[in-house]
Amino acid sequence: MSLFLKKTGFILLTFIGISSAFSFLSLWSLRQSSFYKPSFLVNSIEEKSFHYVIIGASTGLTTLNTKIIDSVLKTTGLNLAMDDTALSSQYLMLQHFLAQGKTTKFCILAPSIKDYDVKENTLSGNDYRFLPYVNTIYVSDYYKQFSCQPGRLLNNSKWLPTLGVSYYNTEIFYPSLLAILKPASRNRFDDKGNYGYPIKINDDKPITEFKTLSIALKNDYIKKIRDLCELNNIKLICYFSPINRKKIKIDSKDYKIINHSNIFKNESYFYDDIHVNYKGRKISSEYFANDFKALLK
Amino acid sequence: MLFNSIDFAIFLPLVFVLYWFVTKRTLISQNILIVLASYLFYAWWDYRFLALIILSTLVDFIVAKQLENETDNRLRKGLFLVSLLFNLGMLAFFKYFNFFIESWVEAWQLFGVTMETSTLKIILPVGISFYTFQTLSYTIDVYKNKIEPTSSFLEFAAFVSFFPQLVAGPIERASHLLPQFKKKHIFNSEFAISGLYLIIWGLFKKVVIADNCAFFVNQIFDGATGYSSMELFFGAILFGFQIYGDFSGYSDIAIGVARLFGFSLMTNFSFPYFSRDIAEFWRRWHISLSTWFRDYLYIPLGGSKGTTWQGVRNVFIVFLVSGFWHGANWTFIVWGMIHAMLFLPLLLLGRNRTYVLSTKIYGSQVPKIILTFLVITLAWIFFRADSVNIAYQYIINLFSFNSSSVYMFYKTSKMILFSTIIIFSIIILLLFEFLAIQNNKKEVQLTTYSAIFIVILICFMGVFKNPSEFIYFQF
Repeated sequence: MSLFLKKTGFILLTFIGISSAFSFLSLWSLRQSSFYKPSFLVNSIEEKSFHYVIIGASTGLTTLNTKIIDSVLKTTGLNLAMDDTALSSQYLMLQHFLAQGKTTKFCILAPSIKDYDVKENTLSGNDYRFLPYVNTIYVSDYYKQFSCQPGRLLNNSKWLPTLGVSYYNTEIFYPSLLAILKPASRNRFDDKGNYGYPIKINDDKPITEFKTLSIALKNDYIKKIRDLCELNNIKLICYFSPINRKKIKIDSKDYKIINHSNIFKNESYFYDDIHVNYKGRKISSEYFANDFKALLK
Repeated sequence: MLFNSIDFAIFLPLVFVLYWFVTKRTLISQNILIVLASYLFYAWWDYRFLALIILSTLVDFIVAKQLENETDNRLRKGLFLVSLLFNLGMLAFFKYFNFFIESWVEAWQLFGVTMETSTLKIILPVGISFYTFQTLSYTIDVYKNKIEPTSSFLEFAAFVSFFPQLVAGPIERASHLLPQFKKKHIFNSEFAISGLYLIIWGLFKKVVIADNCAFFVNQIFDGATGYSSMELFFGAILFGFQIYGDFSGYSDIAIGVARLFGFSLMTNFSFPYFSRDIAEFWRRWHISLSTWFRDYLYIPLGGSKGTTWQGVRNVFIVFLVSGFWHGANWTFIVWGMIHAMLFLPLLLLGRNRTYVLSTKIYGSQVPKIILTFLVITLAWIFFRADSVNIAYQYIINLFSFNSSSVYMFYKTSKMILFSTIIIFSIIILLLFEFLAIQNNKKEVQLTTYSAIFIVILICFMGVFKNPSEFIYFQF
């Protein structure tokens, strides 16, 4: 038995040693890079204060172009929205932003519409992008609240980084190899964090009827985000991006709202039902700049 | 409980410690632990079907005991039929009932007769095809007086439910596995280490090769009309590696886990993609099933003895039944027929045993290996497709030679990554297997350092986020 235990122990310990070294290197490499938004914010953004930052999901990422908004309003903005994330992740992004010693006057919250009324928040598909910062209290606490297997693996990565790096090997390990070679490369967003969807070949279809959807802003994380904003003298604006053939009715007066859910009367502005294309993004950003201008004063 | 799950990673060391440190004093306590652990392992999927295993165990244990005491041939035959009908009846009901009803209705539709049908929502119990065949072989052997029935229900229950091979084989024979529950096991470090290496190698085949191949295979087979001939060709090849990695990986892990408890299970795969003809392939692929059919179907039918026509008939029956064993779908029957047709020429020319003794591969045999692999790959299309029509269309598109584009394998950075991982891991697989064959070994030989290397590959190249279920669980 002792021979077996010795050999198993040797294999296990050597494996843990080598894989931990690779994993540490992998997370270090991502921390030095601009590949994902959390490290992009740390390494590529020199400005300390902003007029506004956008936090949100793919709708926020692909609808609001800070370059267009800033050219109209002469402001400094930053898009920190990430696709496939929920309000809980956006709260984490705001914490991460503040932890870097940066400030903003406004926080534009642009999550997926359906996320506003989610009762039980779960780990989002792209939350692993905060893994390089798992040793910070706010990221660790964030992962800790999820009892699902990926959540536990991500949380325990602060002790054994191999857990998270191997589970998300295609998302963490291989991008980190790229990050070693090209630390400045970004994962599909520009130098201000913006990304847009191309124009699909589609018909010029007028939208004649809008289905009304009621949103009550019940997700606990909106309140958490508002509280965090208030604590840091940031004004929160909830933004509702355009949706194809739908109109959002907001049943809450507790928040400042910019509702652009039904601004487009033609399907040619959309990439799919919930995302606009380049053309839609340009107009959406101009609409936003126009409404935001009044709030800036 | 999946072998590649965290649940199993906790379960296995726990049972190991209990087995070797708590229950090591008596054989009975070791066997009780094996039965309890096996039932827990199975109940993890669906505890309701545990009753089927227990029932099957009871029926075959009682029938075998009665066979031992019975001398009247008619009564013996009757008892044997009870076991046969119970086991095959259970299999027919859970696995084939809906298929027979639907095929019956479709057959009448060909003559313009429309029939109303209401099939039941029957869930297929995991592993039913495997443990049914295992218990059946016990009754057949007792009936034919090849083995003595066991007098211990506990030992028999452990033999039927032994968790490493319960749900996907290898399908063990009572003459090989049952005696192992009759003797107390003494821990053998060398044997256990070889088991550990097999577990590592099996995990590599499943988590790295099979699950990465599944990424492309699922896309290609789900939308076969939208891909070029070359993409379809590689899709079929990747499925060949997926199913091999998946099933042989499971078998390796099963054999390895059994070794940790001191049990020896039969080799189930012996480097099948290095086969030089179809006959050799069937001596290397799913050995426990093909030898089962050989012993309990082919030979009782007369084997290759008798007239040429009888030999041809027997081969066809065995391959058709073997195909049908895999699933209630015409695709499996066609797959079996294709293999029968590929095998028959060798049988008729008396060349089906050319490579029985020769294991070493020579350079001049490489074209034969490639040709055999390609033919097997084409047959896999029927195995993987959802229907015969889809498989037929797949093959039509494949041979239309419409384009040599392989764009789907490098369309996005993610696809380039998966392609690279697959190519690299298949090279590793073939290299280790080639070395084992050339050294006349039955399984891949890992050293301490190569085992560490493979574990690192599993860690950084394996699919953990969206793993695929073991394909053979559906059988």
